[in-house]
Amino acid sequence: MSSTVLQSRLEGMARYRYHRRRILSLLGWVVCGGFFVLLGFALVDILVEIAAGGFPALNTKLFTEPTQGVSGGLANAIEGTALLTAGSVLIAGPIGIGTGIYMAEKQERVFSRVVRFMADVLVGIPSIVLGLFGYITMVVGLGWHFSVLAGAITLAIMITPYIARTTELALLALPGSLREAAYALGATEPVVVFRVLLPSCVGRVLTGLLLAMALSMGETAPLIYTVGWSNYTWNGHLTHEPLGYLTYVIWSFINEPFESAHQLAFAAALLITFFALAITLGSRLILSRLDKS
Amino acid sequence: MSEIVTTRIDQSLPAAGRAKRWVFRVGLGVVALIIPLVLLGLLAFLTLQAWPAIQFNGFGFLVSNDWDLGSQYGTPVSVDGHQVLPGASYGILFLIFGTLASSLLAVLFALPAGVLSAMFIAEVVPQGARDVVAAVVELLAAVPSVVFGLWGYVVVIPVFSHYVYPLMADVLGFIPGFGGPVGAGYGLLTAGVVLALMVVPIITANVREAISAVSRGDVEAGFALGATRFEVVWKVVLPQVKTAIVGVTILGLGRALGETMAVLMVSGNALDIPSNIYSPFSTMAAFIVSQLDSALQDPTGMAVDSLSEIGLMLLILGIIVNSIARLIMWRVRG
Amino acid sequence: MFVKRTHRGRSALLLAGVALAASSVGTAFAATSLTETGSSLLYPLFNLWVPAYTKKHEGVQINTAATGSGTGIAQSTQGIVQMGSSDAYLSGAQMKKHPSMLNIPVAISSQMINYNVPNANSDHLKLSGPVLADIYSGKIRYWDNKKIESMNSGAHLPHKRIVPIHRADGSGDTFLFTQFLTKSANNWKAHYGTTVSWPSVQGAIGATGNSGMVTALQNNPYSIAYIGVSYKDQTDKAGLGEAKLKNKSGNYVLPNKQTVPAAAAQMVPKTPKSERISLIYAKGKQSYPIINYEYVLVDSKQPNKETAKELKQFLTWAVSSDGGNSMEFLKPVHFMPLPAKARQLTMSQIDKIHG
Repeated sequence: MSSTVLQSRLEGMARYRYHRRRILSLLGWVVCGGFFVLLGFALVDILVEIAAGGFPALNTKLFTEPTQGVSGGLANAIEGTALLTAGSVLIAGPIGIGTGIYMAEKQERVFSRVVRFMADVLVGIPSIVLGLFGYITMVVGLGWHFSVLAGAITLAIMITPYIARTTELALLALPGSLREAAYALGATEPVVVFRVLLPSCVGRVLTGLLLAMALSMGETAPLIYTVGWSNYTWNGHLTHEPLGYLTYVIWSFINEPFESAHQLAFAAALLITFFALAITLGSRLILSRLDKS
Repeated sequence: MSEIVTTRIDQSLPAAGRAKRWVFRVGLGVVALIIPLVLLGLLAFLTLQAWPAIQFNGFGFLVSNDWDLGSQYGTPVSVDGHQVLPGASYGILFLIFGTLASSLLAVLFALPAGVLSAMFIAEVVPQGARDVVAAVVELLAAVPSVVFGLWGYVVVIPVFSHYVYPLMADVLGFIPGFGGPVGAGYGLLTAGVVLALMVVPIITANVREAISAVSRGDVEAGFALGATRFEVVWKVVLPQVKTAIVGVTILGLGRALGETMAVLMVSGNALDIPSNIYSPFSTMAAFIVSQLDSALQDPTGMAVDSLSEIGLMLLILGIIVNSIARLIMWRVRG
Repeated sequence: MFVKRTHRGRSALLLAGVALAASSVGTAFAATSLTETGSSLLYPLFNLWVPAYTKKHEGVQINTAATGSGTGIAQSTQGIVQMGSSDAYLSGAQMKKHPSMLNIPVAISSQMINYNVPNANSDHLKLSGPVLADIYSGKIRYWDNKKIESMNSGAHLPHKRIVPIHRADGSGDTFLFTQFLTKSANNWKAHYGTTVSWPSVQGAIGATGNSGMVTALQNNPYSIAYIGVSYKDQTDKAGLGEAKLKNKSGNYVLPNKQTVPAAAAQMVPKTPKSERISLIYAKGKQSYPIINYEYVLVDSKQPNKETAKELKQFLTWAVSSDGGNSMEFLKPVHFMPLPAKARQLTMSQIDKIHG
């Protein structure tokens, strides 16, 4: 057998193997892309279903009138969701940002590591456990009954570790030279943190707050046994009075055998999904801008 | 670094500045205490509330399969010093099974979907469009869980119970757990599918990040050896992010274990171990919501205490799973 | 209940540390705000009542929520809400703990046994308590079982497996159904109550809420379920079968305008002043066996005179035949108005409410 024949055979095999590998790789990418398309399809289908059910139910009455039984509007629920979300961010914001500053500025301390670890664990605790905790301690223990305050504190427990971690990461992303320069100029620690460091990363800290807000407004489980439900708009009481909120409408009204109830459920789903997605998308946009600059 | 610098400056500060610094430091330390205190508070209060139930139920709570509030109109009896309704017994084996089975199913679906779609986004999609494309998957994380539940209720349940499950039962019926009646669509598999969609964005986002952190040198070396792009990603990049994948999978598992609303709306809330993969079941988290109302009718309070014991179990499970996940992920990031 | 025991006994010290000034904020109720929570069976009726009533009485706000009978009981006894609605009256143990509670019937409801047996849904198959007990215990497994066939001569019964459907959430319907089984069938071994440890039956399904029961029946041929009568429009629309039930005299009856009042006529004279009585499985040839008083649980001692006055006024309207007990409100939910004697008892209970 001549060497040229052998060579061409070997080359043929190599080419065959090469083609096989190319085809297998292509198949691999098709599978990857397939999964991606499947997930994208799921998101789109969720949005389409919510929109299809929710848009026909949208009207001005929804925003101006409170719920009457299982019909009427959603003014009470919209107001309740806004109150609970704002309340939880007001409580969790300062605590979360403070904790974040501590973790960033005292990096090396053991306690700082402990707090960071506990924050990461607390983020993963099932929200229903927080709801049960709120029920035991605040609704029943302190006798607050179903109320805004019990709900807002429960939600705050859920989002505080989240805000703390985003604040910490925002501070750590700042160049070390900034910190050194400030201290070199003789600035004290509070001045460095509040006048130099925080203003430099205020964008990131705020997006952290925004994302926490989106998390907070979409929650249901921690609120069922801390906030209750009310057909009326808020009367200014922090405790002792139940409150309506949008996610309750979705969960509870879809199980009622009335068409008006289903419409309200879809309308509530549309509103809450729209706001949660808008806030999340907005924050992502801001973050990607910040990353580039 | 800053510690050393500030300590030196500290000595040259006037008294007022020093006082301010002290307030700042102490204040910050006190605020930082809140998160650990809350975590300890969760453990303390749930344990306190569940204590009578822990004593009454004993170890049988975890291994028996009977959730019975007892005779509601009976006169409470005293058992081992605890007032309970006659015939009351609490066992949550079916909940432990349901929680683990649905979460494992979710992770089983979400792991390949999450990792492969992360590969696709990180390596196929051009740099400029990557953020937008990634948002498609990662926005799933922003959809409230009750909306997932609603979608499961109006889309997944009817479609799967009419078309998918009967077919599966026909074709895969020979595998234990896949045959038998497919029921109304409320069940283990439906919950697994919905939960998978909620877990996927966590996996995709973290794996994508890990992939982009892999050294480009190794990738170039792979190409230099004549490997295709897929081969490089599959054989060079993925092995390097293996630990990150394990960590984020456990994190996703933690998310699935504690998910409440979506499961509540699609599980069928049965009080039994499901007979096959399509059957109604319940999880610990969903059970707390669906049963608190009934439990409140028990004048002895033992039913509510037993529900709190479930909450305590869920808390401990959450702490363990998340601790493991975070330790792994911290190690990855160094 | 659970509030006081745990709070005082175990958590007081810890809680004292956590107690915030906020607990003193907003303790005063607006005198004209009434809150109702509880039974999902009564919820649709309250939703018809409240808009009509508040339109005429502008000074009062009434809040309603379908949280389930258990929450209704718990919150009314704790004074969190003024009205707790429930399909069941308070137990002896609960009355002992809260002696000032009133169990006030506001209407009479009934429960249907529905099934989905293709070709037999318009037949009104006949069933009895012992047969239902056997079905829900897994002893009768097929529709053409001898016991069912002997009651339904001539009906087309297929050799198909029966799918028993029960409520998975805690529910007043489960309470009524299992109480009927307990009273009518010696072979029913489980307790009766709002959450029952169901005997394990292969293929049995748990459904959530009455509308979940309707959907489950529709989707599962050869299934059977118990559903509150206020959902009759839904079961009719879905084309489901409604069973005739064997009553104490051995007759098979449907719940309707004759049989529900007939059963009520038997039980109302036996109703004690406290009105805590089960109406299940009444005597009488025409009596339908599963009927019940729908209760509003009210504390006779209200925090102030104004609340007591508004509460009395609303409840009086709710049970009056030209107010809340008129057919205008009861017909859409298929409830029966209170018979005259029961209304008398109810009125004297309402009179006990004071500030």
